[in-house]
Amino acid sequence: MGCNGVKPYELVFLVTLSTLLALAFLALLYYSLKSKRLRLTTVYLSGEPENVVSSITPSVASLYWGFMKKFAKSLYNVLVEKVHTGNIYDWFKFISCWLSVLLIVAVAVFLTALMGG
Amino acid sequence: MIKVNYMPELLLLFFSVLVFPGLFFITSLALFTQYLVRKISARYQNRMGPSYVGPFGILQPLYDLLKLLRSKEVTVTRYNMPRVAEVALLTGLAFIVGSVILLPLSPYAIAGDFDLLIFFYMTSVMPLFMFVIASLSMPNPYTNIGVSRLLSLATISEPVYFASLVIPMYLATRGREPFMSISTAYLSAQDLWLKPQTAVIMTLSLLAFVVSVQVKAMFPPFNIPEAEQEIIAGFETEFSGPILALARLLHDLDITIALIAGTYVLLGGPAPSRHLSVEGAFLLVFKYIALLLTVITVKNIMGRYRIEQALLQVFKYGLIPALVASALTATLSYYF
Repeated sequence: MGCNGVKPYELVFLVTLSTLLALAFLALLYYSLKSKRLRLTTVYLSGEPENVVSSITPSVASLYWGFMKKFAKSLYNVLVEKVHTGNIYDWFKFISCWLSVLLIVAVAVFLTALMGG
Repeated sequence: MIKVNYMPELLLLFFSVLVFPGLFFITSLALFTQYLVRKISARYQNRMGPSYVGPFGILQPLYDLLKLLRSKEVTVTRYNMPRVAEVALLTGLAFIVGSVILLPLSPYAIAGDFDLLIFFYMTSVMPLFMFVIASLSMPNPYTNIGVSRLLSLATISEPVYFASLVIPMYLATRGREPFMSISTAYLSAQDLWLKPQTAVIMTLSLLAFVVSVQVKAMFPPFNIPEAEQEIIAGFETEFSGPILALARLLHDLDITIALIAGTYVLLGGPAPSRHLSVEGAFLLVFKYIALLLTVITVKNIMGRYRIEQALLQVFKYGLIPALVASALTATLSYYF
């Protein structure tokens, strides 16, 4: 049973149908089972009042800076500390290592191509 | 050709989505997976773990879920939008449950060219997206930090997860129909492990897969988005009662469906046996448990990384193996 080798739009249609079916059933189950009790409280800030933070809601900028400061900065530091230190010898060391790797890869590819015919 | 116009086919579709391997089965499996994670982790730490509800405490996750759903109240602040969180989490759950008809396990299994892309979108991209929407609709400064960390990790771990499934699938379905389909891929996964040139690629893909599942599950060493003691509960700080129940269930289903995908694409599912055989069922369960045990072991032998350390480790042990595997696959495809 089922279909093998279906066309892409048929596949999307069937998968959408099954997702909608699952959503309807899940919603029915959830809203019939869930507790209806609601309690209003203040934002949890480890016991501090709300005025200790500048903003409760997150900003898109903070998501961007979270990535840039924590991870992208480490990549930038590699560039600054190992490649562009301001010393020509450091740059020469880096570029000669890099070109050597490229040379080795080029020779390896050439030899593999020769052997492979 | 679509056959849903016929009543038996439609009933089979309903059965697949709602019972097996859909809602009922996959929820039970997710709760059992949670039980194993808790019980085995407890044994690693010289604790008892769940013991009182059901035989060997096996029903404890179900009891916790029902208690959160039925007994606990939802606490809201004036900034919260609990309805948005509920709808987002339910939609995330529905995407995972709806994707089961793409699995060969389903009695109503459908397969087509590139169905992995739809499967990946439904089981990895959308649940994460819905998690983020639910978290941001219940705002809190701790949530903000947790979501930021979650997205930073996902920026690297999602491509790793994708690559770890796409690479073996490409090798397994090359020259076959339907191309890049889970139902074709699992039949050839075993052959890929037996050939020396593809065994290396499979090993690298498996390594990348385990690392990416560890991140998706937010298990140590990658539990920084929900780092307790530091940012309270991170992205789920403001979740409570039924909303927390949905979030926990989505988290468990996310792990379960990722492990099922790995069991099929990387380890070959029931192969070399068939689904409807005792050996096939045993192999399927054995491979699933083996992957889960690996993840639980890593969880228990490692401490939490800081966010920049975590990103670097995913880069080293996830992204680099995935990139090397991709390069080897490209070379292999060119010459053979």
